[in-house]
Amino acid sequence: MRTTGLTVGLVLATLFAGGLAAQDVPLRLDGRVSPEVQRAVRRIAADAAARDLPVDPLVQKAIEGAAKGVPAERVIAAVRALAARLGEAREAVRDAGVAAPSGHLVEGGADALNAGLSGRQVADLVRASQPPYDAALTLQVAATLAALGVPTGQAFQLVQGMISAGRSPSDLLGLPGQVQAGVARGATPAQAAAGLARAAGGAPPGRLPDWVPPGQRKPRNPHKP
Amino acid sequence: MKTGYHALVKRLLDGELTLAELPPELRAEGEEALRLVGAADRAPVALSPALDERVMAAVRRHAGAPANRVWRWLNTPRDVELRLRVRPWTVWAGGLAAAAALALLLGRAAPAPQPGPGTQARAGTRDSVLVRFVLYAPGARRVAVAGTFNQWDRTIAPLVPAGTSGVWTTTLALPVGQHQYAFVVDGARWIVDPAAPAVDDGFGRRNSVVAVSAPGGHTL
Repeated sequence: MRTTGLTVGLVLATLFAGGLAAQDVPLRLDGRVSPEVQRAVRRIAADAAARDLPVDPLVQKAIEGAAKGVPAERVIAAVRALAARLGEAREAVRDAGVAAPSGHLVEGGADALNAGLSGRQVADLVRASQPPYDAALTLQVAATLAALGVPTGQAFQLVQGMISAGRSPSDLLGLPGQVQAGVARGATPAQAAAGLARAAGGAPPGRLPDWVPPGQRKPRNPHKP
Repeated sequence: MKTGYHALVKRLLDGELTLAELPPELRAEGEEALRLVGAADRAPVALSPALDERVMAAVRRHAGAPANRVWRWLNTPRDVELRLRVRPWTVWAGGLAAAAALALLLGRAAPAPQPGPGTQARAGTRDSVLVRFVLYAPGARRVAVAGTFNQWDRTIAPLVPAGTSGVWTTTLALPVGQHQYAFVVDGARWIVDPAAPAVDDGFGRRNSVVAVSAPGGHTL
């Protein structure tokens, strides 16, 4: 009897685990946003949760808007637009073969779409981001580059090139700052990105010129038996 | 002393050639090599029979220690026969419970930021790094930084003035990843960090972006 009770309890807990985040929404919004925004965001979040989309970015966006004193209707519109982008991003990420993407990854995809990258580019970057690269961070970096004014195709190629050249995740994260520094020195965002792409073409510091990224086959040495 | 010998001298040392078979110009090198190897190649040392006894006595003493006997008893494999008499439905219930528990654990392991002030969202939380925020705001009465890392709360991360120069600063521990933020001057005026990249915030304004790399990470 005790076993049955435990089983039922665990199964029920599993079933409802996915809905907990949506239930947290009023708690998180309470006192942070106006009642009008709270009502609207609860509806949007419930709909998002039903579609298996992450709810946290929606709550964050509502809180951000309210903290900045943005009018309620504008906050609601932004949250609604974000929910739509999260849905598109989830599809793009699934196209990359990730059947059950994390909320963080979907959010990164939404950032990239918002910055102008296409769904196909999002999927390609997710495919390219095998460990140690975090696909969500890859997408966020590409999004930030595009937001800085780097043409989206160039931002996509720069990030993809850094990964295929085996540059570290830290190098990847540093790209927006590098572009910003280039712009401060008088380059256009495109020129700054092109310079970084050229620099990424060589071997990383401390590596031999014939170094290849982990997982790739080194060319056969004809002098070795 | 030489650190490397000619290939023919190595063959001499390997016993494949004799000294006489070496070319005359290599004979001196070969003789030197043989002399050095000969000095190291001593006759076998005969051990005293008493040494065997002393070693074995030490081993027996060690093996006979009570702690070692207990450890051996605990560590020795034994055949154990376990007979269970169960109803089939209890097996299925147990299996389901285990699967549900596993699903719950995996669900908890997924990155799901929790509510509350100071929540660090939008980032892989593998590591935290101290990040210094600096703003030049002469005439400001108070300055704070709010962003995705603190739920946009403009009260919990105030900057402090560095002297009377108008420079405000604070240091926060942020998780590795990319975060959006803005400075809040005098509790109402939101401004971007002039020293950082900025992106559209969805409300027609801009957010600054900070990329936090793992300690030891390097950039181009």
